[in-house]
Amino acid sequence: MRIDIDEARCEGHGLCEEAAPEVFSLDDDAMVVDAFGGGEVPDGLAAAARAAIASCPVAALRERT
Amino acid sequence: MSRPRSVVVVGASTAGLAAARELRRRGHTDAITVIGGGEEPCSRPPLSKQVLKDGSADGTVSIPTADLGLEVVRSPAAHLDPERRRVTTRDGHDVPYDALVVATGSAARRIAAPGQSGELVLRTLDDARTLRTRLGRADTAVVVGAGFLGMEVASACVHHGVSVTVVDVAPPLERVVGTFVSAVLVRRARSVGVELVQSEGPVSLDGDPVTGVRLGEGTVLRADLVVTCAGDVPVTDWLDGHAWAGPQGVEIDHGGRTPLEGVLAAGDVAAVREEAWLRRRPFWSNAVAQGRLAAATLLGDEPGGPVWDDYFWSEVCGHSLKMVGPVPRGEPEVLAGDPCTGSALLRWWDSDVATVVAVDHRIPVPRLRALALERERA
Repeated sequence: MRIDIDEARCEGHGLCEEAAPEVFSLDDDAMVVDAFGGGEVPDGLAAAARAAIASCPVAALRERT
Repeated sequence: MSRPRSVVVVGASTAGLAAARELRRRGHTDAITVIGGGEEPCSRPPLSKQVLKDGSADGTVSIPTADLGLEVVRSPAAHLDPERRRVTTRDGHDVPYDALVVATGSAARRIAAPGQSGELVLRTLDDARTLRTRLGRADTAVVVGAGFLGMEVASACVHHGVSVTVVDVAPPLERVVGTFVSAVLVRRARSVGVELVQSEGPVSLDGDPVTGVRLGEGTVLRADLVVTCAGDVPVTDWLDGHAWAGPQGVEIDHGGRTPLEGVLAAGDVAAVREEAWLRRRPFWSNAVAQGRLAAATLLGDEPGGPVWDDYFWSEVCGHSLKMVGPVPRGEPEVLAGDPCTGSALLRWWDSDVATVVAVDHRIPVPRLRALALERERA
């Protein structure tokens, strides 16, 4: 699975990082960073990544279809 | 309690679905039935922000559930029978449970008189869409309630070019963010034309349908659009007859348990006893924290966190606010920036409990929380 980020929406709440720290982190400007740069997320991390996507209160993250 | 087989969650919104997701994350593979009587599950914070501005965000506010393997019953819960461990829904479904999570949330508090029509509130996606349409056509608006919801609605009025007056019995946001931050946000709201009026005593709505607001002293403010943002009321009518569920909410302990064995609660409906008071904190972060806590407790696991999460955020007239900690008093320590002129990072201490507030200051929330936990003072 791959991730799409809407940077304009990201407000740095950090729930994604909490849910899936191997996939998401916040930089010093409180902007979300995808560790896989929009590329394929390893299968073992997919469930955590989906939980992170679901946890974003401002819907800044989406699974790419 | 031994690990339950069937879990029933009453309420398909933030707290209930956070509980369901956490159950799956902690390895619960048995049935989870969610009883949801209302609209499609959606995240509420965007409803008073992006959704009031334009329609582009409407499709993204829903809470994902497809990966959770939930049984869904789409009818509101009507009755709880703890002897038979059953919830009955309005359309007659009997849903048995081993463990139950009450997460029915709250409804907007309405101040219209019985039979008085035309009161607008903001709670659901439909409410937000209706309000957005009305904002597109209105020239003037009055908002009843200067808490964070009222101020966000006022911000949407400004966005749509609607002249807005916000009415409350206290200074805007003071109950939520304290005097200092309230003053900062009031200055900024006024600078973009928001009128703020303090009423001497509770207000009422004027007209049928509603066309204005009558202040405590008798003056009536007329407007094209009147919106009530005067708090929320927990949804506990279906728990009629249970002493632990009433107008103040459903009482829970620090594990999220109600006094009834096998029954927990989470989110806007849940209240925690603080000395003499039963207190709810109807904010998104709490709904998530309590949903997760209920899941851990009912599985017999160690709680992953406290019963409160006091992280809160808002946007007032283009200014972002993030806050961790209790309502602060007095002057803050300025950690960065300048609250008089622009962005700022502020901290208050009350014994060894800190409150940290970021105004227009981009800071990762985990960093904000860490600042509230640092024990050294400047």
